[in-house]
Amino acid sequence: MDDEPIVRWYWIGDHLGYLGNLLADHAVIALVPVLIGLLLAVPLGLACARFPRLYQPLSAVFNIVYALPSLAVFVVLIPYTGLATQATVMFPLTFYALAVLLPTTVDGLRAVPDSVRQAATAMGYGPWHRLTAVELPAAVPYLIAGLRVAAVSSISLASVGALVGRGGLGYLFVDGFQRTFPTPIVAGITLIAVLALAVDLLLVAARRLLAPWAVREQGAGS
Amino acid sequence: MIRFEGVGKRHPDGTVAVEGLDLEVPTGRITVLVGPSGCGKTTLLRMVNRMVEPTSGRVLLDDTDVAELEPAKLRRGIGYVIQQAGLFPHRKVIDNIATVPYLLGWDRKKARARAAELLELVGLAPETAKRYPFQLSGGQQQRVGVARALAADPPVLLMDEPFSAVDPVVRAGLQEELLRLQSELHKTVLFVTHDIEEAVRLGDQVVVLREHGRIAQLADPHTLLTSPADDGVAAFLGRDRGLRGLGLRPAKAVELRPVDDGLRYGGWELALDDERRPIGWIDRSAGTAELQPSAGYRPDSDTLRAALDAAVLSPAGVAVALDADGRAIGTASREAVLAALTPAGGGPVSVRKPDPADAMGTPAGADTVGTADGADVVGTADGADGGR
Repeated sequence: MDDEPIVRWYWIGDHLGYLGNLLADHAVIALVPVLIGLLLAVPLGLACARFPRLYQPLSAVFNIVYALPSLAVFVVLIPYTGLATQATVMFPLTFYALAVLLPTTVDGLRAVPDSVRQAATAMGYGPWHRLTAVELPAAVPYLIAGLRVAAVSSISLASVGALVGRGGLGYLFVDGFQRTFPTPIVAGITLIAVLALAVDLLLVAARRLLAPWAVREQGAGS
Repeated sequence: MIRFEGVGKRHPDGTVAVEGLDLEVPTGRITVLVGPSGCGKTTLLRMVNRMVEPTSGRVLLDDTDVAELEPAKLRRGIGYVIQQAGLFPHRKVIDNIATVPYLLGWDRKKARARAAELLELVGLAPETAKRYPFQLSGGQQQRVGVARALAADPPVLLMDEPFSAVDPVVRAGLQEELLRLQSELHKTVLFVTHDIEEAVRLGDQVVVLREHGRIAQLADPHTLLTSPADDGVAAFLGRDRGLRGLGLRPAKAVELRPVDDGLRYGGWELALDDERRPIGWIDRSAGTAELQPSAGYRPDSDTLRAALDAAVLSPAGVAVALDADGRAIGTASREAVLAALTPAGGGPVSVRKPDPADAMGTPAGADTVGTADGADVVGTADGADGGR
């Protein structure tokens, strides 16, 4: 590897289409689980806010799942979901996303000031109605903060999936390592960073759009 | 009318918040529950809209036991204002105010039109409608809170220390605003505070509570201040309750000396500008033209307390009575103010005129009787002008 330069630009030029495909694949593998995680975290979070006893056991389960090494989970899942299918990677990533999003949802719902909650009750909101109409919208900044963490970590974790045959940009690391050819590795790292940054900026923009009232309370962006 | 009948609240851990309380909250009046923290006043308030359920007794709202009503429905018919305003952070002011109309199923346009009306009623600028709560000051938020409580025009208003989180100047403004609103709307208001001053200022009747929601005294503010039921209540009222009682009596009762009768009081002379606005007091005996500030009050809107305060502050011992434009319409010496205190037995709203002879013994006594605005007396106008 002594004479091998860090980047051979011609390789990148020759493989633009290939890199594009990997990037799209990576984005799907990493972000669809975050989306599913969000769709699960909101109802679960609301249930936990309504019935606080649920929260402890649920969060314990997701913390344990979160602690499992991703590669081990991928391998365990292969017999059920098959090698080199998207599901093998996306299934555990959904759980990781949920492990991040459930606590942020519950925290967000709990962070609504007591006075707001009492005022809502006193004006005639029932418990569920209040949760969905008052507390959930007020928790949006928390949800988006959680989404930013979940999305970036999911984008990073998804590359491990390459070891079981489906990892989007992660494949570039396996390839580059096996051939002692650093160019694809550098390209992969760069593209993953760009993807993470783009998604993050998108979420910051989403917060400004969905929760313009929170811009001052929680600092603008980053 | 709200009626508490033998109401008690015992918490599951055995502590007693309220025990066997009977109380009537008359329709169209402000009833203030006041007492130290832990006296159960907020508990009582929340029993009315079933945010707290009594463990004994019952609460009647216009002869219906609230326990028979569905909580959400009951609450939509009762305005509620709390200390931190509790505005929904994610909704613009206009939609915060329209909360209950939305819940009642009004269409959006009608609800917003009503909200805009209320915004004006509580003295906020129309452009406030599009702001979010975090963009408002504490006082403005509290006004929005009041507007929100009034949106569906509920006959009953519950107010739980609504003004205690804002600074004293803003609080005084909000209190004044509430009294003005009440004079137009005549709601049945149950108001909770720990501030006796606020209780006396706002209440048509004041209920002083002790621990466990026991009523120490129920009286109108004047009676409360002048004849507290016992030493405990007297201590709670504070040591200057006599002076504070003056804050309940109109300054109209003070006999004025018309400006045209001359502006000299002993060695002091009041200087007026061409519009008859006071400029200050000149010490004639000192022979200098140095002006000392004058203190004034408004006989038509201020209280005896303000009149006395102005008289005490003045170097000449004379308060200047002003009209709405700040023009002097007469003067009142300390003696004149004190004379107005004497007929205290006549009750809080007595405006009986004191005997002009012992009011200040003016030479033109016969002319000054009843000419509180001073404008009719022209006889000595030249003399007064000469004093400038």
